[in-house]
Amino acid sequence: MVDLLQSLDSPQQVAMTAQRLRERALGLETTPAQVIDALARWGESLVGPAFDAIPGSPFLKLWLRRGTLEPIVARELGPNALNGMWHDERAARIRTFPVGLVGHWPAGNIEIQPLLSMSCALLGGNACLVRVPSGLVAQTRTLIERLSETDSARLLAERIALVAFDHDRMDLQRAMASAVDGAMIWGGDEAVTQIRALPFPHWARVAVFGPRLSVAAMDGQSWSGGPDRETWCLRIARDVWQFDQQACSSPQVLFLERHPAGDVGEFAAMLAAAFREENRLHPRRDIHPALVSAICLSRASWLLNDGGHRAIFPQAPDWTILVGEGAAIPAPTQGRTLSVLLVDSLFDPIAKFDGTVQTLGLAVRDGTKEAQLAHAAGRNGVDRIVKLGRMHTFGSPWDGMDLIRPMVRLVRHVPSGE
Amino acid sequence: MRTDAFPTDVYRRIEALLASPTYGLDPDDHQERLLAVLQSQLAYATERNAQLERYVRAWPIDYRMASQIADLPFLPVGAFKADPPLALVPRESITRTLASSATTGQRPSRVALDAETSKRMVKGVTTIIRDFIGSKRRPYLVIDTPEALGGQMELGARGAAIQGLRPFATEVVCCLRHGASGTLEIDADKLRDFAFRWAQADVLVYGFTYVIWQHFVLALRAKGVALDLPNARVLHSGGWKRLLDQAVTREAYASGVAAVFGCAPTNVLDFYGMVENVGIVYPDCERGNKHVPAFGHVIVRDPLTLRPVEPGQQGLVQVCSALPTSFPGFLVLTDDIAEVIGADGCGCGRRGIHFRFVKRVPKTEMRGCGNLESARQRPATFPVADG
Repeated sequence: MVDLLQSLDSPQQVAMTAQRLRERALGLETTPAQVIDALARWGESLVGPAFDAIPGSPFLKLWLRRGTLEPIVARELGPNALNGMWHDERAARIRTFPVGLVGHWPAGNIEIQPLLSMSCALLGGNACLVRVPSGLVAQTRTLIERLSETDSARLLAERIALVAFDHDRMDLQRAMASAVDGAMIWGGDEAVTQIRALPFPHWARVAVFGPRLSVAAMDGQSWSGGPDRETWCLRIARDVWQFDQQACSSPQVLFLERHPAGDVGEFAAMLAAAFREENRLHPRRDIHPALVSAICLSRASWLLNDGGHRAIFPQAPDWTILVGEGAAIPAPTQGRTLSVLLVDSLFDPIAKFDGTVQTLGLAVRDGTKEAQLAHAAGRNGVDRIVKLGRMHTFGSPWDGMDLIRPMVRLVRHVPSGE
Repeated sequence: MRTDAFPTDVYRRIEALLASPTYGLDPDDHQERLLAVLQSQLAYATERNAQLERYVRAWPIDYRMASQIADLPFLPVGAFKADPPLALVPRESITRTLASSATTGQRPSRVALDAETSKRMVKGVTTIIRDFIGSKRRPYLVIDTPEALGGQMELGARGAAIQGLRPFATEVVCCLRHGASGTLEIDADKLRDFAFRWAQADVLVYGFTYVIWQHFVLALRAKGVALDLPNARVLHSGGWKRLLDQAVTREAYASGVAAVFGCAPTNVLDFYGMVENVGIVYPDCERGNKHVPAFGHVIVRDPLTLRPVEPGQQGLVQVCSALPTSFPGFLVLTDDIAEVIGADGCGCGRRGIHFRFVKRVPKTEMRGCGNLESARQRPATFPVADG
């Protein structure tokens, strides 16, 4: 078995790896259909406790399914793109071609992101050089080893290299940036700013998926009564637990639309039961002490600062529910700390969104109202509006951008005989 | 806020703890007596502060039913950055506010003291320090500027520490001053005079750990000056971070300081303390461990569960104190990490839990996609064309 994940220690090694990948990517043409075949086989193989233990692996498996990828390729690259065909557009023909070698700088907090990012560029026919954050090396290796086994023809394996080096090795960061034709950059403010400033070639395409936060919201009918309430609570808990509430798609606040029959205390207790259950199923294995301090402070500050506030939490820093009122998004604590805020109308918080909110998770009974909320959210900078429980389901577009198309060139051929 | 007096019987029990052998109580007896006082203090505090009452009520364990101090509701140290400071007495009863030394851009912690708490604070520190250096009063050299002693109403951490040792002083001399460029420099005349007058005498010296090193030891070393104060007891407190950045170990520090004073390195005493835990400091014993006095306690909590750790393990430090009655500083979870050395039986003879300070909690290095470090500069809504 070939180790697809290697440690690099010199700019020369980075340059040589990039050169090898570039030669293979340009020398061997693939169609999206071939890539999807290989990705789907890989996704199907990710079964067993070792994979189940990796946060986000169900999303990765879902993403790698043929049924997920084929429609995305068709939508982003055009109707004939699956088989690498040209398609007619008036008097011209259009076809996508890879930009070449794509460098990936995934965020350090999402275990599956190096591979999600890589798969997007592979679907465009590119080769991929992926910097795996130091905290994700073990999980990434577990996942990528299966690709070595399922990709016996080495269709993908020949065109990817996952590399590990310290974030502070700017010489290696610079070498990697200067060797690529495109870059997919994910992560927080500081990291994204630092990577964007690297010396990319002038022709390099750069797609940035920067820091965001996400919000959940329920209309009065959905939370105040009915048989679905418990299910909604479990879905919210699942969205909070995934990625330890540190992903851009993690809900930090849940807005509840006021309802005459609604008892927010009763609902918070129900939500607490769902959190307890999710915590039983998915307990933390470790926690940064600074996050513990932040969680403890958020509990105390919430209750000390306002007479109307309530909170539910266990003694351990496992989870926290902060209950109050108001349409403003409180400063996120993360670490499974959810603010539950009562509002007169769900349009009130949406009106305050400032482009920071990536995903709005909704539970709304009335379809017309939901469409209006989605429109208002879209106008106010939200890029994804989804059902609660599916806030992390990776799909295109993401952050308001296509995932494959940024790393392909659209080639237009106007036949000379016409 | 209710203004009725603190219950007399609880006062008596606090005084009884202060009068107990500082480090001599059996750990079980200590736990039982302190738990009862802390429960009374919580009852008193929650009657006077509605917000605190709400916090205590939300705590998963009813403090009145708690069987150990570790079950009682603690406040994180960050809660003391509130403005106005958290208080349990009316504004007119506050005689002094203590402020922590905050780094640039950070808001300091502030604690409100009334006359009773101030008195107990002095008594607590005196009791502890006496156990380490004896009760004799002696000339007191402060390695700081006279300004660090602070005003009457608001006192910084340095000033509080300096003042806390005053009961051991026959006279106080501050031997630093602000130079022309604003940096600290030695007031050579004052230092020379002090060293001359008290050579061979027992003297007490105090300064912030970093100030002593940077502005005193290195400055004297550079001039090749060594003092002849072999009986100096040098106490220091404050962060080690800047010294560790300069690769100054604790041993090198003690040796360097001792060499400048002409005393033994064992005369150099590091103590840990914070303004939120008024009246209690934690000097190193001769075995290098820190101990808790009869009127306080330390719990080291596992960050994952917040349960107390076993000896040999590290965790977040919670400090507990029976002394404050003017602000809710009885149970404070700090941002420090310590290791529990043992539950009892330190070789120095002091009873109860002993621990070693490890470090401040390092800032989390989150580089995740959900980590918004700065706000987006974007209009709240975008104009769209009608129709």
